[in-house]
Amino acid sequence: MLVFAASDKGGTGRSVTSSNVAYRRALAGDDVCYLDFDFGSPTAAAVFDVPGASRGVAAGGLHSHLQGRHTEPHRIDVWAESEHDELRYRPTGSGRLVLLPGDRDGGEFAIGKNTVRRCVNLFLHLESEFDVVVVDLSAGRSYAVDMVLEATAQPELQAVLSRWLVFHRWTHQHVIAAHGLVFGERGIVAGGVERGHDKGALRDSIRFVRAAVPDPESSLWSHVPLAQSEWMRTCDRDLTQLAAELDLGYARLLGKIPLEPVLQWREQLITDEDVLASKVAGMATRQALEELAAALVDDEAWERQ
Amino acid sequence: MTEQIFRETTAEPRTQSLPLAHVSLELGHLYMEDFEDGPDRLREHFARVKPWADAAHQAAAVMSGGRRARVSTCFLIDDYFTQFSSPRELVPLLLGEAKAAGLEIDYLARESACAQADGVALAAAVESRLVESPTEGSDGTRPGVREVGWLSNGQRSPASDAGEAMGRVVPWTPPSEAGARRHSIFVDVELWNEDPRRTWSCPFLAAVWQLARLGLLRHRGNPVLEPRSLRPDQTLPETWSALPPLLRLNDSAAPFAAYRTTSVLPSRFLPIEHAVRVVLSQVEADATALRQVAERATAEGIQVPADIPDRAAYVFYPGP
Amino acid sequence: MAPADSGLQPVLCGEVRTSVLRTSEALTARTAVQLLNLRPDEHVLLSERPNLRVVSPQLLTGVDCRLPAAGGSRPRAVGTVAARAVLTEGRVLQTSAFARLVPSEGSHRRAWGHYLLRPGVVEPLARHQARDVVDGFLAAAPLPGGVLNPGAVAERLLDHVLRHRLLDQRAPFKSGRTRLRWAALPAAEGAGASIERFTVAADGLRTVALRTPVADPAAVAALCEDLALHDWLLTTLLALVERSRLGSGDGEAVLAALRPLVDHLLHLWMPGARVPDGLSGVWETLEKQPGFSRQWQTLVQRIRDQVAVQTAPLSRRVLASS
Repeated sequence: MLVFAASDKGGTGRSVTSSNVAYRRALAGDDVCYLDFDFGSPTAAAVFDVPGASRGVAAGGLHSHLQGRHTEPHRIDVWAESEHDELRYRPTGSGRLVLLPGDRDGGEFAIGKNTVRRCVNLFLHLESEFDVVVVDLSAGRSYAVDMVLEATAQPELQAVLSRWLVFHRWTHQHVIAAHGLVFGERGIVAGGVERGHDKGALRDSIRFVRAAVPDPESSLWSHVPLAQSEWMRTCDRDLTQLAAELDLGYARLLGKIPLEPVLQWREQLITDEDVLASKVAGMATRQALEELAAALVDDEAWERQ
Repeated sequence: MTEQIFRETTAEPRTQSLPLAHVSLELGHLYMEDFEDGPDRLREHFARVKPWADAAHQAAAVMSGGRRARVSTCFLIDDYFTQFSSPRELVPLLLGEAKAAGLEIDYLARESACAQADGVALAAAVESRLVESPTEGSDGTRPGVREVGWLSNGQRSPASDAGEAMGRVVPWTPPSEAGARRHSIFVDVELWNEDPRRTWSCPFLAAVWQLARLGLLRHRGNPVLEPRSLRPDQTLPETWSALPPLLRLNDSAAPFAAYRTTSVLPSRFLPIEHAVRVVLSQVEADATALRQVAERATAEGIQVPADIPDRAAYVFYPGP
Repeated sequence: MAPADSGLQPVLCGEVRTSVLRTSEALTARTAVQLLNLRPDEHVLLSERPNLRVVSPQLLTGVDCRLPAAGGSRPRAVGTVAARAVLTEGRVLQTSAFARLVPSEGSHRRAWGHYLLRPGVVEPLARHQARDVVDGFLAAAPLPGGVLNPGAVAERLLDHVLRHRLLDQRAPFKSGRTRLRWAALPAAEGAGASIERFTVAADGLRTVALRTPVADPAAVAALCEDLALHDWLLTTLLALVERSRLGSGDGEAVLAALRPLVDHLLHLWMPGARVPDGLSGVWETLEKQPGFSRQWQTLVQRIRDQVAVQTAPLSRRVLASS
């Protein structure tokens, strides 16, 4: 399965959340591969705490591979190379967790026929080896989004299951922007159709993930004045209604990630140690990530129209 | 090694040897625009070709060491890029004008035959035999020629590659010709394009044409583009596709394929034939066919250049 | 005693990439021939005994680069690397790229036509120590840029074949690719082929150092393709058995995980079946130590036992309910 992680804007927690989903899938026993397609800012390796690769690798990253300068992209076995205490030992029953980083100081590059061909080869190769291939895309409308839309429209990739996760924050602006990214005139659906995708099938393969969602009912807010908590509830209701109107409602929602300081500030994988022992991360966050990781491979969650 | 345990996919694994003339002499190459200029254009063409054709016969006599030189003549008509007129109308006109100039056309070929003849995709086969001359630093990691559809005679300017956003500025360097003498004459040849069907470029088909005339094409060991005559009761057809890809017009002609080729063409063909040389210098020809040509040449006491492009000679007469 | 190590010894080197064919059903001989028709004007070789093996025509890639070297300087070399694709039982695809290093007569690169007439030969333009080149080539690290890299040629060919429209892109199980990098020096006068080392490195890389009396790179490549095929079978079976959580997971899940192995892999084991005369000694060595077949048979027995154990209650249930 190919999973494309997209977001309308920066700051949605797309990379850190999709990395956590990849990690949770691996813990569940899947062989997982994570591709850093955020070409303008290749920093996914930092989330996995891999030394010497936090800004991409010196040679053989995805930038140079897709541009034809290198035949085989560099792979990082997270279980073997991470410096994170909890990640250094592969838990029993878990699957592989492999990271394909970008090039250090790599930048966005123009996409040609050959870039797309290499991208198709890469996806086919990884899909035949891994259960879940997570592709973390640059924010907004980017060359990376164009390239994967073009690649997945190729006949060779028709048999491969593709799913899209679109991350957005739970604000008025972000909801509208996420709607634009997916359904807008130059959005993912329109761009996909232009490249030969079936409109209905592509729409049905897209789900939204709400990130950094404050929960008005949370104990965090239990001491705020009544007027403020009323106001929060109203905002939440209004946003829910706006989302429904823009087709970002329940039917297309795959998960909600609470506002979580660890995700916001540390941008790292949330391990059980963080939740249970040091308690720096909230149980609700862990729960949400686990549910999202489960929903990702739950066909029923993707059949809702 | 394991040859004995392999069964070939056909019963006839032997590569067939071809009879060869000393020289294959091309008397012209007809495109629609030439035809549209009327019979006068053809008449003028053959009048200009005639003295060079005579010279080619004399040169062949020198090459054959005093024995009777075997020279076959051929003519190529485009039916690949545009189809015009019909064999029934054009062929008698063509032969008449050649004859009036004192020339005889032994073989008539259709350009589309260089792409596909008798169900065999010749151009695709030749393309699969291209082995790009590597630039220094080619360690096997770069994509081959087939993936881009272009073939050059050296190293492209790196400025032509799209760079990365905010990437390091790569200083411009000029393209360079492999094995250049002091200065480069860099050529980049488009082999085909796809819009969406693949169309082979004129120089690439012309390179296939040269290989056919040099007797170096085979299909799984069998000869391709074999000349056929019309039966006495057959008339020239109305459509080009109904015409044999390579038509023998003279029953007593020397063999179509030859040790060397000579082409007499108007000077506008010069860039095309330069491109043909670029292609021919990077084709890995059928090893058995090459060996058979070399063995025949040795038996006849004839020198044949080792490099394929050096087997082709040209006369470019002035004019369009 | 090995012959004195001089720069004039021909070195053979190459790399084999092995992958499952991405298709739900194994290809028949007919479709396999279509798949590997990489040079439409040449024959695809087909052999059906003792198993179905189809070999593509040989393709060339031009190189002008440095030779690897463990210690000394890296000489420049020019020539062509030969590559071919091999399909076993319509299921396992291998691409193999190899070259014979033959010292050049001069120290300058010649016209390209010279190299086109010597397919699969790479000519070093300077003197070098054959042993140094072999050691540099087999050093486990990825080969540095600008150094002869037949593996990259094989990898590109593998990607090319795997995208063929004959394939439905549905492999029966997930599996990785393996890389087997090999180099061969001439055997001592009168000696048979021998294996100096076989190492299993991380990330699917294996390296093999050989001494062979055979100077034909295609024959030695055939031996290495056979080694790579069996190493891949073993690697893949081990990985899949581990994933099936054999012995711990629930019965039906284990059975579902093992089923594709029984259907697609277990019948492929046939070490040495294709090894050219004069090279068979290599397999004998490997069977003694580390004992490829021994490990394979043990695994197969475990799988068969599991399948038997898991299906027994199932069939009892089926019988009881009928």
